[in-house]
Amino acid sequence: MSYVVIEGLHKKYGTSTVLSNIDMTIEKGEFVTLLGPSGCGKSTILRIIAGLTDATAGVVKIEGKDMTRIQPKNREVGMVFQSYALFPNMTVKENVSFGLKMKKMEQKEIEKQVQEILDIVHLTEKADAYPHELSGGQQQRVALARALIVRPKVLLLDEPLSALDAQIRKKLQSDLRSIQMELGMTMVLVTHDQEEAMAVSDKILVMNKGEIAQIGTPTEIYTKPKTEFIANFIGHYNVFSRQELEKMIGKTLPGKGAKFAIRPEAIHVKMEADDFYMIGIAKESVMSGNVIRTVFQAGDRTYSVEQLHQRAQHFEVGKAYECYVAPKDVIELT
Amino acid sequence: MKKRGLPDLFFVILVLYLFFPILATSLYAFATKWNKTIFPEGITFKWISTLFQDMNFIEAFGRTVLLSGGAVVIAFLFVVPAIFVIVLYFPKYEKWIQAIVVMVYAFPGVILAVGLIRAYSKIGVPMVFVVLGAYVIGILPYIYQSTRNSLRNVNARQLLDAAELLGASKVQSFLKVLLPSVYPGLFAGALLSFSVLFGEFVLINLVVGSRFETVQIYLVKKLETSGHIASAVVFVYLVLMGILTITISVLTKRSKGVANT
Repeated sequence: MSYVVIEGLHKKYGTSTVLSNIDMTIEKGEFVTLLGPSGCGKSTILRIIAGLTDATAGVVKIEGKDMTRIQPKNREVGMVFQSYALFPNMTVKENVSFGLKMKKMEQKEIEKQVQEILDIVHLTEKADAYPHELSGGQQQRVALARALIVRPKVLLLDEPLSALDAQIRKKLQSDLRSIQMELGMTMVLVTHDQEEAMAVSDKILVMNKGEIAQIGTPTEIYTKPKTEFIANFIGHYNVFSRQELEKMIGKTLPGKGAKFAIRPEAIHVKMEADDFYMIGIAKESVMSGNVIRTVFQAGDRTYSVEQLHQRAQHFEVGKAYECYVAPKDVIELT
Repeated sequence: MKKRGLPDLFFVILVLYLFFPILATSLYAFATKWNKTIFPEGITFKWISTLFQDMNFIEAFGRTVLLSGGAVVIAFLFVVPAIFVIVLYFPKYEKWIQAIVVMVYAFPGVILAVGLIRAYSKIGVPMVFVVLGAYVIGILPYIYQSTRNSLRNVNARQLLDAAELLGASKVQSFLKVLLPSVYPGLFAGALLSFSVLFGEFVLINLVVGSRFETVQIYLVKKLETSGHIASAVVFVYLVLMGILTITISVLTKRSKGVANT
C-alpha cells in the first residue's frame, strides 16, 4: 500500500467547488509536486493533508491510517509556508528547537539535534539571530530546518521558494532535493513554476480548476502532455488545431484528435527522412540565455522554434524558411 | 539646488501655530509673574509644587488613572479576546465590529451622555460604572485597529498553524507564539486608549459631575481660580502624554520590526 493515499477528495466553499474528486498516492521517500496555476486548489490539498482545512468529502491516509479526525499536531506532518511563518519573538535556535520542546525532549538532545540541522542548512553562525535579521533565503532555510527537525512522516512545502529571487531560488531547489534524498523524506511541493517542478520532483501532478489534469514523471509530463492546458502550461508548446496543422504540412494526420502540440525545440531546419515540413516567414528572434526562440508566421498562424544558442542557425527577419518536424514529435492531444 | 523657501516657511508657521500655545502654557506654569512683559518676569516651581501638595489634585489624578486604566483593562480582558477569535477564525463577522467602530465615532458625547443618564439613572447602577462601561466601548476603535493590525502584521493565522503542526496545542500556540509576537502592537493600542480616556471631559462631567472629580474636571475648576495652577495641570498632563507618545512610538517601531520577518 502507498505511504500517503488520498481518495475521493472534495472541497467546497459555499457553492464554489475548489477540489473535485482528487485521487492520488505518494510512495515513501518520494518527492511529489502539485503543479498548477494560481487558484487551482493545490494549496488546499496541502492544508487538508496537514489537517488545517477540513475536506467536504474524501479520505487522507498516512501509513494506512485514516487522518480525518486526527488533530494537526498529532498527524506528524510538517509544513513550510510561503511566508516562512517564523516565530518573530524567537531566535533561529529557538524557532528550530520549538517542535522538539513541544515533544518534551531533553535539553541536551535538543541542542545536539539543533546543531546538526543548522549544519545541514548552513546556518550555524546565525543560530542567535532573530528572523528579521535574516535574508529571505536564510529565513526559508530556518523554516525548512524547523520543519525537518521533528522528522515528520510527510513534509509539505507550500510555494516555499516563490518569494525569493531567481538565483537563490535555484540554489535552494538544489539544496531541497539534496536534503530530501539524504534524509529519504517524503515531500509534497506546491508550485506554479514548471521549471521548479521539473528540477526537484520524482512525480508531478498537474492541476487545473480543482482537478488533476495529468500525473507523471517530469519527462512524461514534458514530452507527452495530454491536454492543450498542460501543453500550454508546461512549456512553450506550439498548439494547433488539426485543420491548421494539416494545412501547414500539406498532409493528413493520423488519429482522431482535434488538437496537436509540437515542442519548439522539435522543429528544425535540417530535413530528415519522413519529416513533415512547413514554410514560415521569420518574424522575430529573442535570445533568453542559452536558447534562441524564433517566431515564424505561416499563413494566419505563428509557431516558435527554439535552438541552443551556440548551435543556432541565424534566421533573417522577413525571409521564408522551410522548417521540419518528425512525425513522432507531433503529439495528439485529448 | 532646489528652492524650498515657501514650503519651509509654511512648515515653520504651522509648527509655531501648534507649538506656541503649548510653550506659552508650559511657561506660564513656571512663571512668577507674566502680565505686562513679553517673557515671564521670573521662573518658579511654586505652582507645580503647590499642585502636587493639593490632595484634591492627587485624588483627581488617581481617579482618572483608575477610570481610564480600568476601562483599558476591561477592554483587554473581554474585547481583545473577542477580536482575536473573530479576526483569526471568523473573519466574515469583522464587518459587524467595523460597523460598531463607526457608530462609536458617530455618537456625539453630549447625546451619548443624555442617553446614558436617561437609560441608567433610575435603575440604581452607580453612574461612574456606567461611564466606565461607555469608556470600554468608546475605546473600541483603538483597541480593534491595534489588535487587528498586530495580527495581520505577523500573519497570525499562519503562525498558529505552524506552531500546531510542530506539536503545540492551541493554548500553547497562543501563549508561546502569538501573544509574544503581537504584544508591542497591543500595548501601543492600550496606551493610546488610555491617553484618549485620560483627556476625556464631556461624558464624565455630564453623567457624573463633580461628585467624581477627574483631572479634567479639576482643571476646569482651577481655570476659575488660578491660571498658574491650571497651566501646571496642563503641563503635567502634557508630560504624561509625551511619555505615552514616545512609548507608543518605540513600541510601534518594534512592532514593525516583527512585521518585517
